[in-house]
Amino acid sequence: MPIFLGYLPVGMAFGVLARTLGFTVLQSVICSATALAGAGQFIALNIMKTGASVFAVLAATTVVNLRYVLFAATLSPHLRKTPLPLQAVLAYSLTDETFAINMADQRAGTSTDASMVGVGLISLIGWVTGTLVGATLSGFIGDPTSWGLDFAMPAMFAALLIALAENRRQALIGGVAGAFALALPLLEASGITLGTGWIIIISSMVAATIGAVTDR
Amino acid sequence: MSSNYIWAAIVGMWVANFAIRFIPVAVVSRMDLPEPVMRWLRYVPVSVMGSLIALEVLRPGGEYQAPWNGAHLPAALVSMATYYYTKSFMGASVAGVVAFIVLRGFIG
Repeated sequence: MPIFLGYLPVGMAFGVLARTLGFTVLQSVICSATALAGAGQFIALNIMKTGASVFAVLAATTVVNLRYVLFAATLSPHLRKTPLPLQAVLAYSLTDETFAINMADQRAGTSTDASMVGVGLISLIGWVTGTLVGATLSGFIGDPTSWGLDFAMPAMFAALLIALAENRRQALIGGVAGAFALALPLLEASGITLGTGWIIIISSMVAATIGAVTDR
Repeated sequence: MSSNYIWAAIVGMWVANFAIRFIPVAVVSRMDLPEPVMRWLRYVPVSVMGSLIALEVLRPGGEYQAPWNGAHLPAALVSMATYYYTKSFMGASVAGVVAFIVLRGFIG
């Protein structure tokens, strides 16, 4: 339920934004249902707005969501006995939230193939419903992010971090990753501009490496 | 923005987003990963979440924001504390959003 409610307002924001850029209601909904990419979709809209090539749009959405590669690799050892078609379904519905909830369930020992599909389905429905509502009502509701509901996503991330940290060391590494993520944009001063996607990937990999190397 | 352009982007995003999720699952779940890699993977989830939250809270909208200058950080802390004590994602999300809306009323 919280995952559904977390997706709803952000999905609405996407729906509104897509409509203002010239997507039809159908296109907005199909885009959300097939990509299921959260931030990746917002970045894509931003780039499409500039009239960039489709290739540039795809490159941006891929980079922003490259962290899914890390998620997928982390989840994989738990999916050894899962048949390939079901792996495809789970991969399709892999997002920040579904990953974190499935990992937390995994640790609590309550995770099954069925529960993972359920989590994926709920997020998909929340995201698509939000997009549909936002796209349909875009003329009336204005920008849903101005209400403060967009904080549902960060609030959820914050709770997920606590849920994912098995011990103090892991919580500390989460903090280290955050510090790197905040420091990396400073490289702009030396002429290196990193997109958000790269920042998240680099800071996560560096912090995870520090965690693994110091874990004795 | 032409309709063909939008459809091409939609189909492309579908393929790209599925590929980066499915290929690692299909490949890695069929391999035996060495212990150091497994140990590294154990630190990936918290690292990604830590990075995501830090950017959402202290660099919202791509601009640095001092922690005392906005509702983001305190509201995130409310959400964390709520989860820590209640173990409820629902409660934590709602508490975080309410804190955000209320605090924003005070500090903008």
